[in-house]
Amino acid sequence: MEPVTMAKAINLSLREALTRDENVLVFGEDVGALGGVFRITDGLQKAFGEDRVFDTPLAESAIIGIAVGLALRGFKPVPEIQFDGFIYSAFDQIVSMVAKYRNRSGISMPITIRVPFGGHIGAVEHHSESPEAYFTHTAGLKVVAPATPGDAYALLQSAIADPDPVIFFEPKARYYLKEEIDPVRQVPLGKARVAREGSGVTVIAYGPTVSIALEAATAAEKENMSLEVIDLRSLSPLDMPTVLESLRKTHRAVIVHEAPVFGGFGGEIAARIADDGFDLLAAPVTRVGGMDAPYPPARYEKLYLPDVDRILEEADVALAYG
Amino acid sequence: MADQTFRLPDLGEGLTEAQLVAWRVEEGARIDVNAPLADVETAKAVVVIPSPYAGVVQKLHAKPGQTVAVGAPLITIAAEGAAAVVEPRKADADEPAPSTLVGYGPGGPQAGARRRPRVSAAASAEPAEVRAAPFVRQLAKEKGVDLASVTGTGPGGRITKSDVEAATSTPAAEPAAPQVDGERRISVVGIRKAIARQMVRSVSTIPQFTEFAIFDATNLMAARDRQKAGGAALTPLPYFIQAMVKAVHAYPLMNSAWDESRDEIVVKQAVNVGIAVNTAQGLLVPVLRAADRLDLPAIAEKSAHLIGGARAGTLGPGEMTGGTITVTNVGASGPVETGTPIINPPECCVVGFGAIKPRPMVVNGQVVARPGAWISISVDHRIVDGALATEFLTALVKELESIGA
Amino acid sequence: MAEVVRTVETEDPVRPLFSPTGELTPEARSRIGLDPEGLRDLYRKMVLIRRVDQEALNLQRQGELGLWGQYLGQEAIHVGTVAALESEDWIFPSYREFGMAMCRGIDPAEILKFFRGLSHGPYDSRKHHFAPLTIVVAAQIPHAVGFAMGSRLKHSRDVTLTTFGDGATSKGDWHEAMNVAGVFKAPVIFLCQNNHWAISVPLAKQTAGSIAERAQGYGFPGIRIDGNDVLGVFAAVRAAAERARRGDGPYLIEAMTYRMGAHTTSDDPTRYRLQAELESWSAKDPIGRYREWLQGRGILDEATRAAVEREAESTAEGMRTRLRSITPGPAGEAIFGRVYGNPPDSFVEEREEFESSLEGS
Repeated sequence: MEPVTMAKAINLSLREALTRDENVLVFGEDVGALGGVFRITDGLQKAFGEDRVFDTPLAESAIIGIAVGLALRGFKPVPEIQFDGFIYSAFDQIVSMVAKYRNRSGISMPITIRVPFGGHIGAVEHHSESPEAYFTHTAGLKVVAPATPGDAYALLQSAIADPDPVIFFEPKARYYLKEEIDPVRQVPLGKARVAREGSGVTVIAYGPTVSIALEAATAAEKENMSLEVIDLRSLSPLDMPTVLESLRKTHRAVIVHEAPVFGGFGGEIAARIADDGFDLLAAPVTRVGGMDAPYPPARYEKLYLPDVDRILEEADVALAYG
Repeated sequence: MADQTFRLPDLGEGLTEAQLVAWRVEEGARIDVNAPLADVETAKAVVVIPSPYAGVVQKLHAKPGQTVAVGAPLITIAAEGAAAVVEPRKADADEPAPSTLVGYGPGGPQAGARRRPRVSAAASAEPAEVRAAPFVRQLAKEKGVDLASVTGTGPGGRITKSDVEAATSTPAAEPAAPQVDGERRISVVGIRKAIARQMVRSVSTIPQFTEFAIFDATNLMAARDRQKAGGAALTPLPYFIQAMVKAVHAYPLMNSAWDESRDEIVVKQAVNVGIAVNTAQGLLVPVLRAADRLDLPAIAEKSAHLIGGARAGTLGPGEMTGGTITVTNVGASGPVETGTPIINPPECCVVGFGAIKPRPMVVNGQVVARPGAWISISVDHRIVDGALATEFLTALVKELESIGA
Repeated sequence: MAEVVRTVETEDPVRPLFSPTGELTPEARSRIGLDPEGLRDLYRKMVLIRRVDQEALNLQRQGELGLWGQYLGQEAIHVGTVAALESEDWIFPSYREFGMAMCRGIDPAEILKFFRGLSHGPYDSRKHHFAPLTIVVAAQIPHAVGFAMGSRLKHSRDVTLTTFGDGATSKGDWHEAMNVAGVFKAPVIFLCQNNHWAISVPLAKQTAGSIAERAQGYGFPGIRIDGNDVLGVFAAVRAAAERARRGDGPYLIEAMTYRMGAHTTSDDPTRYRLQAELESWSAKDPIGRYREWLQGRGILDEATRAAVEREAESTAEGMRTRLRSITPGPAGEAIFGRVYGNPPDSFVEEREEFESSLEGS
């Protein structure tokens, strides 16, 4: 198979899900004739008809609200929220309804909410956010963020097949990353992968920061530092065994995400390392992420986002503990 | 028939008490289920309480106007017939209110009910001042090393993995170096090792050159004397740092780093000044962050804190990293006039200051004795050429000589 | 000139049944389509649900329920609506639709687990085609629209009804859902129980305009009717449901009524409304009015009336008995049991730790 972009991989995965299960529905703003603002749903309406792939009015709360009703009616809705910053309009429906409906009624909510997220695209305000921690903090939801085309394909299959609601965060800055994908390979929710082996410091990343962590590892190699990079793939469920296994080797961890560090998901990982891996540590667990400020205008985003230098600085700190 | 005591329920989501307004029944009266018993006023509203039991009123536990706590007995009724629908409860009014049923206020279960037995802490043989990471403590336990007997070589005297390994009777698997008479081998660990690595990285990756100048410290000393008279005794270092930051402002390239992965020069916005400090463990370089945003007293205070902290081993990792340019006070002790400092990678520039002392200087054609000192700068030639370094050094001299002017 | 104004040109089978002020016309009343047994059953159900409403209030005052929200005065809407729908048609309620739930055959003692702090969703929604009670105002409305869209996709003939109060019409979810329903011509009925009060805020401060007429803006019809007339509610819901079943899309019914009780047992209506207003609505009590109408036509005799009262008493007593005999289920199951279909490992571990912490305590 030819290498494909992550955008195409997600498109193929949706196509596969629509083909395999007639209860799968894809809908959202501009997902029909246009194929979505990122063209992720390109050609799907033509292939599967307007009943199964449809444009909705510009109403995020209703998009998620009707997904609940459709799930109750036996469908597997795969709604799209056009940009990360617009998901807040649907916050109540996601947090109070989608997440808690099963707990309230015993009825499953097999809904996969696709959301392009993260920065690096030089966009205007509200188009570069990383809202994952709001959702990992909500019981009943699962939260996934692939970093590669192959994982995006496979994780979307797992998300749609799962009986629970999944927020599927797509790193929009990596939509055009290319790789050969294997449609048969399965990636279950809650299984991290070691993206690069190393021995000195474990760098834990997900979604858009995985490739930055890998760059940092390459740069570190020139300085005779060895970084192991873990791609979490799934934030909830969280694969702590893979993280702890790595720490048994490196004894040091740096967590990298685009979301602000304060109150961010990295705090949960750090706390769990402290809880379950206290005796493994040789140095404090540190975090590299966005600042405790709103996402800046595009001109400044590179200063705000994690970069290779900031990861290496933290790796230096971790190694300075001897 | 059994006496049932009805306790005041929480009538409105988290209330703790109510005032009895009026009774609607008397002792001895026969009542049905749902018969109005009393009017009570809560913080939210006045409501009528209906009877949960049919029977004869035995006792009214409160008088109108009295405040009744949620869970306290309100009325005792000799209940009849419908006893089957009533949970058997003893009439004892002193019995604590059941806490599992709704309607009995926000109080939770008593503390201690669920707490697990305390895990007895393994008696720690190590004194509190032993500083070692959890993993190192674990390693020491496995290898049977008493941490109290190990000298730490890590930051702030921390005991590192290597220290523990060195302390074991069977050190690393590497073959021991041959013992030669008249030689003593010192294992290189901790800070010594870190310094060695950093210095090798500097000279092997950075093509660096050094320039020298002497500056006239008359104004600096005068300013210092004025400060001293005002009660604040400053060392020359804060003046050096402030002058250097000002010169960097005019020559921002001096505050940069070479990015080897991209062959790009990264010019840093903040001026984070590394201060070389000699400590018992070796050379440490704590970092004065955003020195460009500090005034002289703040520079003085913070640099003193950093130097003291570096020597005491109390600095956190955040205070030891992130430097963009380094200063070394080579003349701080001893007769050293100047030296060729080595760049602290990945920075572009290091500035060394010698001791200030009277020197012969030519003023208006006359040789006079004036306080002065050597400055030396080492710079990364990939970023800065000699001409620019000279301009920077000239600017620095000018800043130093015009202090207080 | 381009198309500036889009007017709703759609068949409205509901409006001809009502006078301009929302009263069911005598002609429509005479052709309501219910035999005497059916007419008596509407009366019976209204009496039953009012009696259990009172009993639930008493149970709250006796410390058996944490909270209760009365629907006193709104019984005609509860009973008329459920009677007008088919049993396959789903209802998406707000939180005051206890009477509707009972009319759907749900055991009242079971529903009270919700207010006794035992369960967030005590009944089987799929069995009764009655969605869970929804506390977040207006949140259930888009669910009903999605469900109705799903019925259309499945080529099913069932219709969906969602009910909410006047306060809900101020919320974005109401607007978004109405709009989506119009676009997709979803077979859904929006039933606003306009009881004039959203806790302490009166209708006049909730909206400056008409609720019913807003349907026009979404491309479907709406009507304001007398919500204290059980036959009016029955006729309007049935006609709107038939229209939706035919594929003609959504309908908005604004049923005017009055919340005779407090918002909930934590409320004190004397702080914000006048006794006179309450009295003027007492005169329009749905049960009294309907009883007189039935008696005037010789459909309800004294013996039947007394039998209904007795049934109401025993229903209330049975509910009280069953409620008090409910034993709380195990805490682990209550807290963790229904959160995930496929729970994360960390979730399972937390449950196990919690459950083991309870052992022996």
